[in-house]
Amino acid sequence: MNRLNKILFFAILITAGLSSCKDDEPETKKAGEVTIEFDHVWASTESEFSLNKELTHPLLGEKMTFNIFKYYVSNVRLKAKDGSWYTMPESYFIVDADPAGSNKVVIPDVPGNEYTDVEMMFGVDSTRCTSGAQTGVLDPAKGMFWSWNSGYIMIKAEGTSPNSTSGNFTFHLGGFKGTNKVQVTKTYNFGATALVVDGDREAEIHMIANPARLWHSADKLAVKNTNTMPNTIAKTMSSTYYDAIRFDHIHN
Amino acid sequence: MISYKIRFLLFFALIWNFSCQDDRDKSDFGLTYPDYFPTPHYQFGKNTLTREGFELGRALFFDPILSVDSTISCASCHSQGHAFADHNTALSTGILGKTGNRNSPAMFNLAWQPVFMWDGGINHIEVMPLAPITNEVEMGEDMLKIASKLSRNPSYSKRFQRVFGEKPIESQQIFYALAQYMSMLVSADAKYDRYRQGKESLSADEQDGLQIFRNKCASCHTEPLFTDFSLRNNGLEVLNDDLGFGRITLEEADKYKFKVPSLRNVVLTYPYMHDGRFRTLDQVLDHYSKGMVHHNNLDPLLMTNGQPGILLTHTDKVKLKAFLNTLSDYTFISNPLFSE
Repeated sequence: MNRLNKILFFAILITAGLSSCKDDEPETKKAGEVTIEFDHVWASTESEFSLNKELTHPLLGEKMTFNIFKYYVSNVRLKAKDGSWYTMPESYFIVDADPAGSNKVVIPDVPGNEYTDVEMMFGVDSTRCTSGAQTGVLDPAKGMFWSWNSGYIMIKAEGTSPNSTSGNFTFHLGGFKGTNKVQVTKTYNFGATALVVDGDREAEIHMIANPARLWHSADKLAVKNTNTMPNTIAKTMSSTYYDAIRFDHIHN
Repeated sequence: MISYKIRFLLFFALIWNFSCQDDRDKSDFGLTYPDYFPTPHYQFGKNTLTREGFELGRALFFDPILSVDSTISCASCHSQGHAFADHNTALSTGILGKTGNRNSPAMFNLAWQPVFMWDGGINHIEVMPLAPITNEVEMGEDMLKIASKLSRNPSYSKRFQRVFGEKPIESQQIFYALAQYMSMLVSADAKYDRYRQGKESLSADEQDGLQIFRNKCASCHTEPLFTDFSLRNNGLEVLNDDLGFGRITLEEADKYKFKVPSLRNVVLTYPYMHDGRFRTLDQVLDHYSKGMVHHNNLDPLLMTNGQPGILLTHTDKVKLKAFLNTLSDYTFISNPLFSE
């Protein structure tokens, strides 16, 4: 009884405190949308990357024209200043260099707060690779799921190249288990400025991704122009690509 | 009396269907199996099993609409009379007369199966049909196009809405319906089952055959499903470049490994092996007794004193065949619930 009284007393005190402080403290921030935009650049010069444009890979010395470049990003989380995490439910995206798709990851209803870090998985978690028929961007009809060897194609890069013996290149990179598992979780810190989520206030995270990095430790297209299964090649190409993705700036 | 009851229930269900179209069938429709079967691997999860969902899956299974030119249905290569294997052909024919390089497997007790295909490459019953549907030598179709064809079909459109609610048809609904039908294909009424249930007895030869089977075959073809679902190298001569499980894992140790098939309905599902190379059970038994070739990863269970082969006398083989005949489930292959 005594204890209950004490609790009640404190509860009243806190409530009173909260309401009285309202004018002094900043207003409670409202939930809002956070956008992560992937800007695709080409090679170390970070020149413009786009589909259907002939590019030269400086390391390979080969020309290539992409007509498909897309990949999965999933399990996005945001770390608040107080150290707590907001985890987006059902967090699966296809980031697509084709303007018909989207290079943006949009996270709705993020609790109003100040955020210091973003965490995301490149690829699709093993749970969703083994849980049967999925919907949305994980729908196998999206052409990003292997029919004969269950699992998601985590990066799809296709195009043409005069240096390839077939004239084309086709890289479907994935594999969710064992030594050749490609999906990886990475965290990026925003530095000095926090990302403020407050209702309609703009909250954008800009990332830089560089498709040239797929071939950072891979064979020339003249040697290897296709790889469409989970293996060490898929592992190497995806890791060099994912590892080079970096946080650039926030718009707030 | 029983049949009267069933008829009454069916009649009632029919009226129910007509009278309130929005209501799902909540009757006690479900997966039933003998108590000596293990717990099914597939538990349906979000895919709620209903009679209407099952019937939709059945309609899709028999409908060539799933193929690019409307010529091939699932049932083209999976015929109920052959326990849902093909019509005793080694390699099935897909669209435009194309053939692949593997024998169409029988389909039953799939709810217990953890991996699919001869190479074990598919990890879930729901995504299993994606392989034959999209394979260019089988049905050669695209899931988005199927969804659109089904949406344009008023009858299917209505049926999908009744099962999955009023939303556009997408691949998950097609996979769910097919998984409901495939999971319900339970084969558990062979003579062997009636013997297990104390309803029937085995002949002396069948009984002897069962003993031989338990001594020499059951470590892979484990009762009561007659497979342990493992992938093993069973000493087949390499006839083409089919690496089996090795194609999936890329491991040297998995080369030429194939899934241990269930031996239920084995007499009905010839020819045998992943490529249908053996026409008869005699050829299969001869393979295991004296025809195996050595591989570095040949399954140790298939070795006797360091040599490939299982010791089987002529009499053993006769009795084994007598027993294998008790695994044919004629109730299953004639069950109208599974028919078109």
